[in-house]
Amino acid sequence: MELTYLLLAISMLFALVATYLAVIEKNLVKAVIYSALQSVAFTLAFYLLKAPDIVLVYLPITVGVYPAAILFLIRKTEEVEET
Amino acid sequence: MRKDVVVAICLAIVVVVISYVVTLGGGLGPLFNDVRPLATVYLSTTLNTFNPTFTVMSPEAVTAIVWDYRGLDTLFETAVFYLAIIGSVAVYRGIDEKLRVSEGFGLSKIVKVVTKLLIPMNIAVAASIALHGHLTPGGGFQAGAAMAVIPMLLIVVFSRYFLLDIRLSRNLALVLRSVGLLGIALTVFIPVVIGLVNGLNAYIMQNQAKANALVSLPAYVGDSLISGSLIMYNVSEFLAVTFGFSIVFILLSIEEGLVKEQMRGEGVEH
Repeated sequence: MELTYLLLAISMLFALVATYLAVIEKNLVKAVIYSALQSVAFTLAFYLLKAPDIVLVYLPITVGVYPAAILFLIRKTEEVEET
Repeated sequence: MRKDVVVAICLAIVVVVISYVVTLGGGLGPLFNDVRPLATVYLSTTLNTFNPTFTVMSPEAVTAIVWDYRGLDTLFETAVFYLAIIGSVAVYRGIDEKLRVSEGFGLSKIVKVVTKLLIPMNIAVAASIALHGHLTPGGGFQAGAAMAVIPMLLIVVFSRYFLLDIRLSRNLALVLRSVGLLGIALTVFIPVVIGLVNGLNAYIMQNQAKANALVSLPAYVGDSLISGSLIMYNVSEFLAVTFGFSIVFILLSIEEGLVKEQMRGEGVEH
């Protein structure tokens, strides 16, 4: 039980850091990668919270499909966000 | 630099306060300790052979809820997904994917070989998620999302001309996706048709018999539990989602220059 709480806390803190980096990152490709890392941490959290159905859909969507779609869109615009 | 420190402290405070409220402060109560009353209702009816007029005959409560208890909700979710895909197809209407040979495009040979090894495994995983969706965690959408990674990998690793070489064009994907949606639509009306033929009362999207509507779809084939309509919905949704995402990837991967060129050409004609 304590191990579950500990892993949950670690994964959510990792997700928080990744989210913050994704928001402040000016290079959009790197921002997408940070966002995917955040999703991996969320996947672990969903598994620990006993939601395997969400894990199965969250992993392919947020690590595969969504970064790919965003990368396709970035290719159609500029790679670096202007300040 | 000082702004970063302020942001970090604010985030730390937010994390600590939310964790405290959610766990120890009594917000949601401690996790994992008991099953809530609402969950008890679902868990005691989802596979209950002693109560044949109020059960789904599926041990997987989540899939049972998604396609039986609140099936109409999922039906309209699928409709929303359908409309989103149709929107992207409409934006790219009339844009022709020029045929070329896939030789010389894509990433290095090492990546291509690894991808070729991964694809059969991915298909096996996706198929097991779809076909066991009524027994173990998973279901049609999950399996479709896992399967949709394959066309994406093929486009990134082998280039989009490879998809045209193996004849997975936008139109074929549209047809297969429509087959999936048609499967869902037909499954919705199967109990009504059975009811009409046998002169029994039946509801649309009904799965197992209810007290005032004794129409049941078969829960077993041989000794295998198939949970009536759940396996049909899962397989149909699997097709619809897989090829829905495939269409989006095929459209997104068309080069921007090619699209603009064709649109400009069209503008001159009219």
